[in-house]
Amino acid sequence: MLLVARVAAADPEADAERTFREALARADIAALEQLGAARPPTRWSDDAWSEAARLALRANDFDRARKDLEQVIAGTGAIGSDEQLVRRARAELARITNFAGSAGEWNAVAAEHERLAPAIGSGGDPRPTLVKLEQLVDRNPRYPRAAMVMVLIAQGWERDGEPSRAVAWLERAKRTATSPPDRLRAHVELVHVLIRSGALDAARVEIDHLDASPLMIRKLRDELATARLRRTIRWLAWGVLALLALIAAIALRRAAGSWRAAARRVLRPPLEVLFLVPIGGVLVAIAFTGNPLIARAVLAIVSAGIATSWLSGAILDGQRRPLRLQRIALHVMLAFVAIAAASYLAVDRGHVIDFVIETWRSGMER
Amino acid sequence: MRALVVFALIAAACDGEDDTFVEEGGSLEVPDCDYTITTRYGAEAPRMSGKTVGSDPTPRVVHLGIVGDPKTSIVAQWRTVDEMTTVTEIRYAEGANLSSDQLTKTVKGIHFRYNSTGTDLYRVHQAHLCELSPGTSYSYQVGGGDKWSPVYTFHTAPDIEANPDAEVVFGFVGDSRGGYDVWNQLATQIQMRAPDLILFSGDAVTIGLTQPEWEEWLAAAESLLATTPVVLTNGNHEANAINFYSQFALPGDQENFGFSYGFARIFVANDSPDDPSALTTTIPVAMDADFTDNESAKWKLLMHHRPMWSSGTRHGSNLMLQEAWGPIVDKHHLDLVLNGHEHQYEISKPLAGGLVQTSNATGTVYVVAGGAGAELYGYDAPGFWSEYIESTHTAAVLHVRASQLTMDSFHADGTLVPVGFTKTK
Repeated sequence: MLLVARVAAADPEADAERTFREALARADIAALEQLGAARPPTRWSDDAWSEAARLALRANDFDRARKDLEQVIAGTGAIGSDEQLVRRARAELARITNFAGSAGEWNAVAAEHERLAPAIGSGGDPRPTLVKLEQLVDRNPRYPRAAMVMVLIAQGWERDGEPSRAVAWLERAKRTATSPPDRLRAHVELVHVLIRSGALDAARVEIDHLDASPLMIRKLRDELATARLRRTIRWLAWGVLALLALIAAIALRRAAGSWRAAARRVLRPPLEVLFLVPIGGVLVAIAFTGNPLIARAVLAIVSAGIATSWLSGAILDGQRRPLRLQRIALHVMLAFVAIAAASYLAVDRGHVIDFVIETWRSGMER
Repeated sequence: MRALVVFALIAAACDGEDDTFVEEGGSLEVPDCDYTITTRYGAEAPRMSGKTVGSDPTPRVVHLGIVGDPKTSIVAQWRTVDEMTTVTEIRYAEGANLSSDQLTKTVKGIHFRYNSTGTDLYRVHQAHLCELSPGTSYSYQVGGGDKWSPVYTFHTAPDIEANPDAEVVFGFVGDSRGGYDVWNQLATQIQMRAPDLILFSGDAVTIGLTQPEWEEWLAAAESLLATTPVVLTNGNHEANAINFYSQFALPGDQENFGFSYGFARIFVANDSPDDPSALTTTIPVAMDADFTDNESAKWKLLMHHRPMWSSGTRHGSNLMLQEAWGPIVDKHHLDLVLNGHEHQYEISKPLAGGLVQTSNATGTVYVVAGGAGAELYGYDAPGFWSEYIESTHTAAVLHVRASQLTMDSFHADGTLVPVGFTKTK
């Protein structure tokens, strides 16, 4: 029994495996490097160097990662060397060289880029980070990933409500990009931002100059056409609401006899509003237990419904004679048009309309 | 051009190849492989390589898949510039980065056509290589006659019995639809990390029946997909289109299947099935059975499209899947659940029974990585389960060893997302 235990303890492969597992669990780079360098080598040597490199990369220590990866490659052909680990080490070395330079000349810039990048999309105020990223690319315009930093800056400014700054950075990214994929990315992002910010003519010009596949250009043209259509409907909806509000005001004035009386009447909620408010309240409360985008749209539609019924009720309450059927039909139709226009505007905001279309095409979320 | 098409038709007739398209699907036993390929309604039955060479038989959109054991088999798939070519061959040899002269073995493949919209027929070619050696690199090219693809290199999954120190790397990504410029960047970033397998969690394209979109998706990542097999799940935008099932060779019924790669057991599930009742009946039963059969697997992963847990404002958590599939995830102590659908990156705290656990030793971590190019979605407040959330285009790589599973996610520019996943056993 004792002999078996001694033999097991003397098994260098088993020892190396245990050391590897322990070092990996502790994320101990130095221990992994020590195991990689131990002689004679074991089947775990290249694994240890490879894992040490990955931990160094996570810590943005690119020089250390590079050296560790070179050790994996240097062990090619040794007993236990894994062809796939060597393949990955070569690829990883090439990747580090791509962004940090062949002699590590961009190490510090790349580390700063790595540190700042996540802050743009992960909540909180992105402005301080955006300013730091702007300074980073201003100081290092030849940094290999400068164009992509600019795209990131543009995304940050657009989210922060400054699409014109986003457009300026994307134009700069387009000029700075050194590879066709990066240039395409910056250009397509520019088109998207222009469309989203309503600069549709400028978007059309950019699409005309885009060097992309026919399908991508067609998709962007479709996106632009949809944006134009929605803008037209939006204007129409606001126009209809303004016109109906004017008609309601005049009808109220006629029914009440004076503007002052009309104002008094509109301050007093009609009976139907007293019924509608609690029903609407329940609907909104239920909506807010689910998707917040939908809830906001429901709140807007319910509010528009209450406002319409309030005005409608105020007008009807003031009628001295019973209404004719045609007048009632016209009244109902105009109320319906007002709610339809308000509903469109509610779903147009925050792109809820895309959600509605997706649900229509792909079915309900289950 | 028309003369060439007529010539191809005549050539097909002379070869005795029946050109009639019958969209009823069918099956074909693949020679030298222990499995059968079955096509669905909308596609014709698969046929062995023919002799017809069309007007331009140049192979394009070459991509790899797996149907059998990834240690010993692989499937190369492609289309040709013309739709008439029926010659389907693969040349290969053991070794990385060989020249075409060194590809000494030739295997005939299969081909079939499918019809998605209108009257256009699309032909896909598949070459199945079986009886390969585990953990080995091979060079190959596909085509036939005098038109061949470039030579690509792939490698098989390792034999973990023989190599206890084996490491495999999975690229994980989803929801590229429409954003093929970003998809191209992410595919390049994934390729730079030299993965063994790509896991794609659905919504590759906006409308699954639109063939040009599939071609765009495949072309944007061809250098990755021609060297690394891809396993996809059906998303709500693929919508079970015949284009999806015809162009991607996958294990089992192509919808709900499990397979082992290295030390990982992965179950892929279709959460947008044609028959929604399957979500609470046959799918959880198949999932449970697969994980029960592979109880001893070191790492257990589930990939499907719609997340059970998400703080996104667009779709959010899928409560029905939480109820129907959550207990199976808990029962088998899955390590990771991989999703898309919500266009952002989110990683959960370890969860079990819907409650946050103190360590991932006792809970499952859910990852949403739906940012492969589709327009990003926002989020309000992160849910109680959320460890980290970022509205960004991302992909991830999973490193799988016997003793550790890690996931590092990265942005389209290659920078790391600060919160990943590490679990040691």
